[in-house]
Amino acid sequence: MTEEGFKKVLEVRQLRKHFGGVAALSDVDLDVFESEILGIIGPNGAGKTTLFNIIAGFFPPTSGTVMCRGEELTGLRADQIARKGIGRTFQASTLFSQFTVFDNVFNAFHMHYKQPPWKALLHTSAVREEERTMKQKAMELLDFTGLASQKDKLAENLSSGYQKILTISIALATNPKILLLDEPVTTLSPQMVETVMGLVTKVRDTGTTVLIIEHNMKAIMDYCDRIVVLAYGEKIAEGLPREIGENREVVEAYLGVMG
Amino acid sequence: MDTLLLQIGNGLIIGSIYALVALGINVIWSIADVPDFSQGAIFVVSAYISYFAVTLAKIPYVLALVLGMCVGSFMAFIFERFLYRRWRGAGRVQLLCAIALFFLWTNVVNALWTAKAKMFPAYLKGSMFGFSYMRIAVVVVAAILFVLVYLFIMKTKIGKAIRAASQESEAAQVLGININTVNSVVFMLGGALSGAAGVLVSPLYAIFPTMGDLPLLKALVVVILGGFGTVGGVLICGLGLGVLETLGAGYLSSAYQHGYAFVILIIVLTFLPKGLFGKV
Amino acid sequence: MFVASRIAIAVSIIILIFIPQFASNYVIYVVILAMLFAILTASYDLLTGYTGPLSFCHAAFYGLGAYTSALLTLRTGMSFWQAFPITGIWVFLFAAAVGYPALKIRGHYFAVTTFFFGHFVYLFLLNSRKLTNGPLGLRGIRPPDSILGIDFSSITASYYLVLFFGVLIVGFLHLLVKSRIGRSLVSIRENEDLAESIGINTSFYKVLAFSISAGLAGLAGSLFAHFFRFLHPTDFAWMISEMIVIMALVGGLGTLFGPIIGAGVVKFFLELVRPAPELRFILLSIMLILVLLFEPKGLVGIIRRIRGEK
Repeated sequence: MTEEGFKKVLEVRQLRKHFGGVAALSDVDLDVFESEILGIIGPNGAGKTTLFNIIAGFFPPTSGTVMCRGEELTGLRADQIARKGIGRTFQASTLFSQFTVFDNVFNAFHMHYKQPPWKALLHTSAVREEERTMKQKAMELLDFTGLASQKDKLAENLSSGYQKILTISIALATNPKILLLDEPVTTLSPQMVETVMGLVTKVRDTGTTVLIIEHNMKAIMDYCDRIVVLAYGEKIAEGLPREIGENREVVEAYLGVMG
Repeated sequence: MDTLLLQIGNGLIIGSIYALVALGINVIWSIADVPDFSQGAIFVVSAYISYFAVTLAKIPYVLALVLGMCVGSFMAFIFERFLYRRWRGAGRVQLLCAIALFFLWTNVVNALWTAKAKMFPAYLKGSMFGFSYMRIAVVVVAAILFVLVYLFIMKTKIGKAIRAASQESEAAQVLGININTVNSVVFMLGGALSGAAGVLVSPLYAIFPTMGDLPLLKALVVVILGGFGTVGGVLICGLGLGVLETLGAGYLSSAYQHGYAFVILIIVLTFLPKGLFGKV
Repeated sequence: MFVASRIAIAVSIIILIFIPQFASNYVIYVVILAMLFAILTASYDLLTGYTGPLSFCHAAFYGLGAYTSALLTLRTGMSFWQAFPITGIWVFLFAAAVGYPALKIRGHYFAVTTFFFGHFVYLFLLNSRKLTNGPLGLRGIRPPDSILGIDFSSITASYYLVLFFGVLIVGFLHLLVKSRIGRSLVSIRENEDLAESIGINTSFYKVLAFSISAGLAGLAGSLFAHFFRFLHPTDFAWMISEMIVIMALVGGLGTLFGPIIGAGVVKFFLELVRPAPELRFILLSIMLILVLLFEPKGLVGIIRRIRGEK
């Protein structure tokens, strides 16, 4: 996939983040295009998760900007950014572990309610109607992600593969235009990797842009449209999977280390 | 002018009591992740026991101080070994337990020895620069204890393990020291310091079941203001709070002497959520 | 399960309605206090049980409500019926102003800060002699003016007044926690980062829960002031906050009805040791430690276990 003719959905400019004296990110530029799967790779401590946390508004950058379709995101709170159409998952399968699978997803429809909260309090018929619609949507989403058969289980009792799918389902419930996945297939069996990445492709095909942080190189090489390499907080390369695989600097700085 | 100096001096005296209790709470909080309210109870119980040792068994004051520190250490050890340790990682339960212990012992003391204030007999007579020797002794003993704790934390192997564990709970194991041992040691250290503070302050005021409430609250303020700072940070915050409070009582209003700490805390936390000496 | 709970609630309300018909004035008096504490623990549960932040200053809002309502009626000649809603709104707003900066502080810092705040309010009530009459206490508070021919100076009428507002407040809380607002609050309790990532404005909801919880405690305070007609700062000291925490934990946090049961059970135990008041708080703290050791989910946890639920 080349850069020409595709609409930019996310522009990261001169992004910099310091923790105390340590630079976690220095002057990172990044362009993300509509309906692509962009892989972000790099050794541990390269600043990948920091990048996600800044895009999603979990902490502010030291300097630099993040623009989504021409709109500045820097300075907004995490919940406001979620409302701008950016969904995310967390590294460790972060879910509402004491809720059922269904409730996890049903809950994540939070920002789609139109009825005002004080009416929700009175449980009026319009509110109950709306809740029914949301439940239906939650069910449809579980069908889409393949979790329908697990819907009554407690999230903490799911297998690790299903937990990863559930975290993606929660993020999808916010109806994101851009989805940030932090290590969605790490620790999964090769079979489960195929299932999860198949789902990611399906999500991309619905028109959602996906950014993936992942250490599983096979998943990255097989499924990503484009790859960005970070090391020590700097972008050292970007390109098609084939180009990255052949890039000597990347192989030395990163792949070589991984063996 | 003389009044001002006198007030600053008195502020330093009460401030060194806050700093002593705060030092223990600070170390415990950074290792075990619990604001240990039970130090307030230890403060009171140690004061009572050393009071009885001095008045009934007629032991010398210096021994009573050591006794108070031992009692404090022992209580903190028991609390950690049999209660807090069960809930390591579950900070909410530990905090509730700490408050329950504080509540329990304050009321046990009240039930055993009534709410009536007891007067500690004076053990030193005379004064210097308008401060009685007993007041000066508080500062001197507190200073000695601070130096000892500093040396303990900086120079010994277990002190090194404590410093490592306060950064990363598994780090102590690298030094070959069990995390349970580190926990026991910091609680005993905290208990000894609170016990010492209780015994030191007793002859200046009086002994009563709720005498631990205010020093405990102030010490917690000091710890938060210090933002888990170093031994020095705790000392500066403790003395600073003591002085500000005494001056506030002298020049603004004495009715709110014990409210200033809260006001300072809110102001600092609003602008510096990590405290005055907080690391990032 | 639903049917059993509903029957239990209906039976309890019927029993509460009939208590004044056969019980002595002493029992009625104790049940009124138990009901006031039930309002306090239920509203406390909204914040600490459902939303998560551990708070140790609930009695401060109870006290603010009591003194506000008493002073409004004493100084401005307002009737209880005007002062009651004003008190609720004022304590709600006051809590929002305090909660907004305080709730930015996460974890233990917030808990400890509430502890200080509770103590600060107590000191204020004790030392503002001109306003509150300080340690001498505030006297001469009038009972609610009679309406519909009901004279609220009698203990039975006070009983029904407290019962009426108690049921109303608990009903409101029930609707709240069962609504999507309640689900957002529980999401925050379960995982604050994840809640934010699905678009929940966590700081807004936390301040909302804190303020509603405080406002309802203020209403309980107003009811107390005009029933008891004498206020003293020690009625709102930190021990009382501690008592509310213990009652809620004994019953079972995050269940709404658990803390209400807890308020009743703990009040009953406290009455048993009435001859030895110095044992009251010892008993309470031991109760708390036992709950933490053996059943952190409280009485509701025990009931659920007996019935074989998770």
